[in-house]
Amino acid sequence: MASDDFHRAALEHLDALYNFAMYLTRNPPEADDLVQETYLRAFRFSHRFQPGTHLRAWLFQILRNTFLTFYRLRERESALAEDGVPTWDVPMFHDAPEESSGAVEAHTDLERALRRLPEEFRTVLLLAEVEGMALEDVARVLACPVGTVKSRIFRAKERLRGLLRDYTKE
Amino acid sequence: MSAHPPDSDEALAGRLRTELPRYAAPAHVRVALVEGTLPRARPAWLAPVLASAATVLVLGLVFLSLVPRIVPADPVERLVRSVVAEHTRALMWGARHPEVVPTALPWLTQESGIGLRRVFVGDDRLGFVGAEPVYLEGHRGIALHYRDGDGHLLTYIVLPIAGLPVPDRRRVQIEQGTNRWRPALMHDSGFSAWVWRQGDLACFLVSDMVSDVDVERFKDYFVRVRVSTDPVPAY
Repeated sequence: MASDDFHRAALEHLDALYNFAMYLTRNPPEADDLVQETYLRAFRFSHRFQPGTHLRAWLFQILRNTFLTFYRLRERESALAEDGVPTWDVPMFHDAPEESSGAVEAHTDLERALRRLPEEFRTVLLLAEVEGMALEDVARVLACPVGTVKSRIFRAKERLRGLLRDYTKE
Repeated sequence: MSAHPPDSDEALAGRLRTELPRYAAPAHVRVALVEGTLPRARPAWLAPVLASAATVLVLGLVFLSLVPRIVPADPVERLVRSVVAEHTRALMWGARHPEVVPTALPWLTQESGIGLRRVFVGDDRLGFVGAEPVYLEGHRGIALHYRDGDGHLLTYIVLPIAGLPVPDRRRVQIEQGTNRWRPALMHDSGFSAWVWRQGDLACFLVSDMVSDVDVERFKDYFVRVRVSTDPVPAY
């Protein structure tokens, strides 16, 4: 694929990627940075993209990996800063932290509940249900088997239902 | 009315698709990405205009080499320019065939048409560098190079030109004891040149010494070369 064609095709997914970035970061400036970093990497490594495969899934994969790289690093740094000792047992399925300053306010209980989900659950719901991605593509983004994707979707919905029930009771 | 129970997977999936707000990429992000990655469309006329300009430039450079150089009308100035060019060449590249006089005198005389009955071979102020035949403005001649303690190169050139019209208004009187000379001090391309006649020969002494202080020293060098060198036409 020619470079210009690749750039144009990649930019067609800008809105979807930005939406995903907003739900991951919950912060517009951070979402801006994340999306731009994603495209920067995509263009730099465009030669690695295999024509015929899903460009959309490839871009989402880059975005998520970029998010995890930067945000996990940030979490570790903050853990180190608090007591001076590195916290190596950062839970993989930890609940999302409370909203930081500058974060966009959640408008509905559904949005609020989604934000409370761990990243792995939030991502799988956003990709499969919101973006309507095929399970195979979701598996590629998450770099895990399709069975794992199905399992995570099931568990994510369970957690989401529980949170929504809590909001209803309140 | 939904066909699925409100707590079912399908209902939850439907709510996720419809109730969640979608965030569109801000314009500044879009602009930054598009301008930073996609080449801007060039106007259709730009390429031919640039090609034409490049062609004109190339043709101009080609014809520039064919345009005759502006040379001074005055024959002395023209000779000085050639002498300075020869000095510059020696300064940059050294003598073509430096020879150590007097052993090379027969060969130099044969090649240059200039005989040296006496020659200045250097002293405590000026060191002899070499001598070589030259061909300037249609005349065979001889060039002798010297270098002083400060690294200034001096080129002494003798050409077989009788009756060289040394310009009076450039003449400078130089005296040493009972000797007195009136060579002309001329300048070209940032170099100074003493110009004088010696019999039927035209003599030049070139250096980069142009400041007032340097000119005084240049006078001294002129004297040293002048009193110790006696060139004559060989044929």
